[in-house]
Amino acid sequence: MSEKRRGKLEIVNDMLRSILNKGGKIKPTHLLYKSNLSHSKMKEYLKELMAKEMVEEIEEKGKKMFLITDKGREFLLEFERIKEFSDSFGL
Amino acid sequence: MLPYRLPSYVFGPKWFYGFDSIIELVAIIISILLVYYSYKCYKLTSEERFLYFSVSFFSLTLAFIMKVVGTLAIYLPMLRNSVIGNMVRGVSYAITVRGVNALTFLLYIFFMVLGFMMLFLIVSRLTWENKRVIALLMYLVVIATWLGAIHYQLFYLTTLALLCLIVWSYYTNYRDIKSKNALLVLFSFGILLLSHAFFIFVIYSRTIYVIAEITQLIGFLCLLIPFILIFKKKPKKHYKLVK
Repeated sequence: MSEKRRGKLEIVNDMLRSILNKGGKIKPTHLLYKSNLSHSKMKEYLKELMAKEMVEEIEEKGKKMFLITDKGREFLLEFERIKEFSDSFGL
Repeated sequence: MLPYRLPSYVFGPKWFYGFDSIIELVAIIISILLVYYSYKCYKLTSEERFLYFSVSFFSLTLAFIMKVVGTLAIYLPMLRNSVIGNMVRGVSYAITVRGVNALTFLLYIFFMVLGFMMLFLIVSRLTWENKRVIALLMYLVVIATWLGAIHYQLFYLTTLALLCLIVWSYYTNYRDIKSKNALLVLFSFGILLLSHAFFIFVIYSRTIYVIAEITQLIGFLCLLIPFILIFKKKPKKHYKLVK
């Protein structure tokens, strides 16, 4: 049986959850692996997440890292409800 | 301007005056809840489908507000003699109770058709990029409003047709999702469809209007159930980590 294609909401949820599971910040390579996306797609999503202020780009010991923000955490808390609302109301 | 006098509409029996306004008020509250939550989803996700859903229910909210305003002026004679009533009459003698009722009924038709049309577009997953299709549908909203103002039955026939399409989309959604909440949403819109079928025949009997209003109330209350169930669901604990 083929797995159902992830929607945008699920992808964002997976990315943010990956960051959270790594203690709130993650290296780009780890995020790429965990979110199961192509490099270009991940960049696209990260750009959007940063624009929405859910993720911040920081530098730690000269290395680029991505940090989940309060808004990102709020999204994760609300994700299941949003998903259920979206599914139930056919959005 | 319409080249003829707008008809005014009061369908219910006298003993039901005001009860329909309470039913409309319940619909307003439930619609506002949906407007608020879908707008919150939009703010959080920036996904336009939530915004359009919010706008469609906002339009339905405005429709119900128009109906309440238009009928209350007739239901409550003391309103006419109140300070506000005298002020309105002071502005222009042309503003009559029947005139206000007719104008609000026209706006009720417009916002109701617009709301259901937007909902149909969203649940049918039509893309908003196709601007020519959207323009055509918006033109149909204006035409439906115009025709609905000439004869109210044409308005309810239009909303009935739109609700048929919405119910069909919710049926396919339930078939795909198979969740209790999706079934409840389908059920709610099915009841709203039934209420609009009753509304077509209100001219023949005032009792049908009562039945239509009560059916509409049941439909909106049913719509509230999945919403409450979604909110009762607690977020998973493992998300709740501190920085």
